[in-house]
Amino acid sequence: MVEGPSAPAGEGSRSAAVGEILAIGSRPAGSGRIVLEDAPRTGEPTLRWRSRARSIDQIEQELARIWAEPNLQTIVEGEPGRHIAARTSVMNLVVIARQPEIGERCAATIQQLTGRHPSRTIICSAADPDGPSWLDAAIQAHCILPREDAPETCAELIYLTVGGESGRHLDAVVAPLLIHDLPVTVWWPGEPNLATEPARDLLGMADRLIVDGSTWSEDGLRRLGDLAALLEDSRLAISDFALIRQYRWREAIASIFDVPEFLPYLRSMRRIAVAYATHDETGAPGSTNLVKPVYHVGWLASRLKLQVERPLRPVTGTSKPARGSGPPMSRGLAATLRDGRHDVSVVVRPAVSPMPAGTTLRIELLADRRGSELRADVTAVQEAVHVRVWLDGVEELDRTFRAPRWTDVDLLAQAIEVGGREPITVEALRMAAQLAGRTAGAGPDGGGAAGEDGGDRQ
Amino acid sequence: MVPGTPGPASPGTTVEPQGAPDLTPHPAPKPKDAPRTMRDVRLAREGRRKTAPRSTANPLREGLRLERVPDPAVLVLFGATGDLAHRKVVPALYQLWRTNLLPHEFVLVGIGRREYTDESYRAEIRAALGKYARVQPVDEEAWQSFAERVCYERLDFGDADGFDALAKRLDAFDKERGTRGNRLFYLATQPSAFGEIVAQLGRVGLDHERHDGGWRRVVIEKPFGHDLDSAVRLNREVGKVFRERQVYRIDHYLGKETVRNLLVFRFGNGIFEPIWNRRHIDHVQITVAEALGVEGRGSFYEETGASRDFLQNHLLQLLSLVAMEPPATFEAEALRDEKVKVIRAVAEPRGADVERTVVRGQYGPGWVAAKSVPGYRDEPEVDGSSETETYVAARLTIDDWRWSGVPFYLRTGKRLPKRATEIAIQFKQVPHRLFQDSATEPDPNLLAIRIQPDEGIMLRFGAKIPGLGIDVRSVTMDFTYGSAFAVDSPDAYETLILDALLGDASLFTRADEVEEAWGIVDPIIAAWADAPAPDFPNYEAGSWGPEAADRLIEHDGRRWRRI
Ligand SMILES: NC(=O)c1ccc[n+]([C@@H]2O[C@H](COP(=O)([O-])OP(=O)(O)OC[C@H]3O[C@@H](n4cnc5c(N)ncnc54)[C@H](OP(=O)(O)O)[C@@H]3O)[C@@H](O)[C@H]2O)c1
Repeated sequence: MVEGPSAPAGEGSRSAAVGEILAIGSRPAGSGRIVLEDAPRTGEPTLRWRSRARSIDQIEQELARIWAEPNLQTIVEGEPGRHIAARTSVMNLVVIARQPEIGERCAATIQQLTGRHPSRTIICSAADPDGPSWLDAAIQAHCILPREDAPETCAELIYLTVGGESGRHLDAVVAPLLIHDLPVTVWWPGEPNLATEPARDLLGMADRLIVDGSTWSEDGLRRLGDLAALLEDSRLAISDFALIRQYRWREAIASIFDVPEFLPYLRSMRRIAVAYATHDETGAPGSTNLVKPVYHVGWLASRLKLQVERPLRPVTGTSKPARGSGPPMSRGLAATLRDGRHDVSVVVRPAVSPMPAGTTLRIELLADRRGSELRADVTAVQEAVHVRVWLDGVEELDRTFRAPRWTDVDLLAQAIEVGGREPITVEALRMAAQLAGRTAGAGPDGGGAAGEDGGDRQ
Repeated sequence: MVPGTPGPASPGTTVEPQGAPDLTPHPAPKPKDAPRTMRDVRLAREGRRKTAPRSTANPLREGLRLERVPDPAVLVLFGATGDLAHRKVVPALYQLWRTNLLPHEFVLVGIGRREYTDESYRAEIRAALGKYARVQPVDEEAWQSFAERVCYERLDFGDADGFDALAKRLDAFDKERGTRGNRLFYLATQPSAFGEIVAQLGRVGLDHERHDGGWRRVVIEKPFGHDLDSAVRLNREVGKVFRERQVYRIDHYLGKETVRNLLVFRFGNGIFEPIWNRRHIDHVQITVAEALGVEGRGSFYEETGASRDFLQNHLLQLLSLVAMEPPATFEAEALRDEKVKVIRAVAEPRGADVERTVVRGQYGPGWVAAKSVPGYRDEPEVDGSSETETYVAARLTIDDWRWSGVPFYLRTGKRLPKRATEIAIQFKQVPHRLFQDSATEPDPNLLAIRIQPDEGIMLRFGAKIPGLGIDVRSVTMDFTYGSAFAVDSPDAYETLILDALLGDASLFTRADEVEEAWGIVDPIIAAWADAPAPDFPNYEAGSWGPEAADRLIEHDGRRWRRI
């Protein structure tokens, strides 16, 4: 085995010989006890254990050792304290982090959930793909004290850096480290290459995949297609932060049709328009992530049981420049859906905005029933969603829902809490991929959306 | 729960259970509402087909927190100036509003005798929220929009003209605020006023449900009666005006997360139900312990006592949930039918039995949580020679196939060492003692369902102590709900008020349940009335109750659990 690079993510300045157990604090010679310098604070996760390993066997030994330590108790001010509760785990959480910073950020989010969803967490990064194979692991235990008089809940965190050829077979590295019989969730922030063989192998042992489609490069629609393909060829449950985040929009839109007079218009939808933020003054398709706006339409279309007649394509022609002068603005993408008897036109169009690129700015719905027209307009800000509805041009509804944006901790908790495949997500995702023209059936010419986005970036 | 996508039903498929509305937007073509299965035919005949008509289901709601939102409505809160309104009802409504769970067209009309204007009443409840809102600090923007929906009406329950005016004002809300004739009357007053309020509501026609869909419901706080006769009388008075399906009797214990989880735990897990019976269970203990005393409600407590205040409702409700047979559906009536059957099967201790199977107690001075506290008889508004019980323990049996011979030990009391609610299922000793020579014999298995303070479930089993010999020790497997963590579980009142607005009565007590429960408690109280004066106080504040309670269970060779 070859020596790895410097201490991997998560390991502080103290590095230790392989397999040595370090307590945070000191261990009086021969006492076999870990002495804590500070009393743990209620509700705050604390690092209670760390050690290093350079092989799978060593990692397994270390994990066993943490919980086998017979006198693992805290000593606070000379008084023997509480016992640390044995490991608690409700699942295995595998994070695929391309960069150590991403791993760090994910670890911080996960720690916030230690008390609520204690997991064995394995954060994997691959390094130096062309060098020889090696493995470096930092093993930690984080504990949280729910209440003064309660036992602590602890969960393990393994930072794994894998070099060389091994990095291409993460499944082989991760498999022996999973607690069996507990569900496996793979959280893959950044840009997952879902269609590759190694990714398929890794996902083959997972029950759930968590991604964030709104962070994908270019328009993100190719990956959306890959994600939807996983639904068809595996039993994997999928959570996308981009879709979960839209919950407040969905609730606000649904609320319009809680009004009995408006409900029948749902069956007579004629137009769905979504405006999204871009920083590109031409708004040219392909440059801004479209996953969020496409999910909105995907959700609506799937709930209303609409069919894709024609997937999204760039609208020909341009509109006025975004600012008086400057290049003319793209008119976005258009698609056609069908509700049995009628067509429903879909427009996804860019608007130059200081908001993060790809953010939904506005959703407009237009329905026409027996000559009477319902128009709804939904917008959102940081803390609220605003809904307005006009019936034949007369304003009938103007409501603001207080609904703050969710943080990553909220999103992860949501993603973890749903059990199994959730039909609403499955249908929205499937429909979104169809809209993007990215379904298994649709080849590159299958009406594919905005600009081709190059080959597979490995 | 997210329903699967219902596909077109093939011939011969049974329909979804009631209460799970089929939300398919475009139903498979079939003759209009034609019954398809025997069950359909039966349900249609019984007029019980509850599935929401398709045209009223909003398909966009699928998969959201609520598959249905409450209809626009006015909530009329009688007793709006009282303690319960300030501490529980209004904070729950505000929390529901803050999280967008109330309809936009919502009005809260507070009713009391005190002089308030709409403005001053709003200020009053804003102050209460500062103290009692579950999520602090109060969100000013959410409060502002909530406050716009709050009004106050000064009204004495005896004032007939006042009720006429109220009826008019409510009609006006339908026009001005779009509340569509839906009304929830919430009776948070002293119980003696329930009958009068209901009669007044009936007199001005506020009970009538309208043909165009406006519903009328009444929520009644506990205690529901103070004995069987008064409960029957009250049920009759309420029944003269409202139909049973319009009546929601609150026992807030049923709104608690763990209590609801008890049903999931029992009927959602295959491994427990087969052993949930006399063959495997030795006995059951249900404890509802309070560290508090009577907290300034001395005069109320003097007339109530532990058996009326807790045994008749909370303890017997918990017992019925533990012991009931699995209901066929999770629908309100099916669930409550099963609960009533169990309570009916409880053998009522009578006359001389009472002395053997029920123990009462009253606390004397003592120490609780490192504070010296007075005895019950020294509390304000309490008679110096009071015979009111602040503690009751009972050994009940259920005469049915499942539970015959399994005692249920129930206890509740004030000024016990700590606040704790727990249901413990004690399993039988293994049939053959293999490890008799072990230094410590394994204890029989135990399953404890904790309801407060930290909700969770604990299972105790025996394990071998590592080493060469076979020494067995009890270990526990503990599952704690987020307890102190950021898990945002709703307060029981939030759950229950939302259910009442949605028209789901599952977690409310039905008339027959209340009466059956009084049927158990009444003879106990009657036997005490005939018995010589009790030797009160018979337990020290801060202890686990009178010695007689220990003897009650020790007589059967068992012990109370140390909690
Ligand atoms: N408090 C609790 O913790 C608690 C817990 C569980 C159940 N409960 C039950 O909830 C109910 C209310 O308890 P509470 O403690 O809130 O009582 P409370 O503080 O005494 O409040 C009684 C309310 O009723 C009003 N009221 C009384 N007589 C009236 C009349 N003739 N006309 C108009 N309004 C009248 C009072 O209004 P004015 O003051 O304006 O006259 C006051 O708002 C009781 O059934 C109690 O058993 C209470």
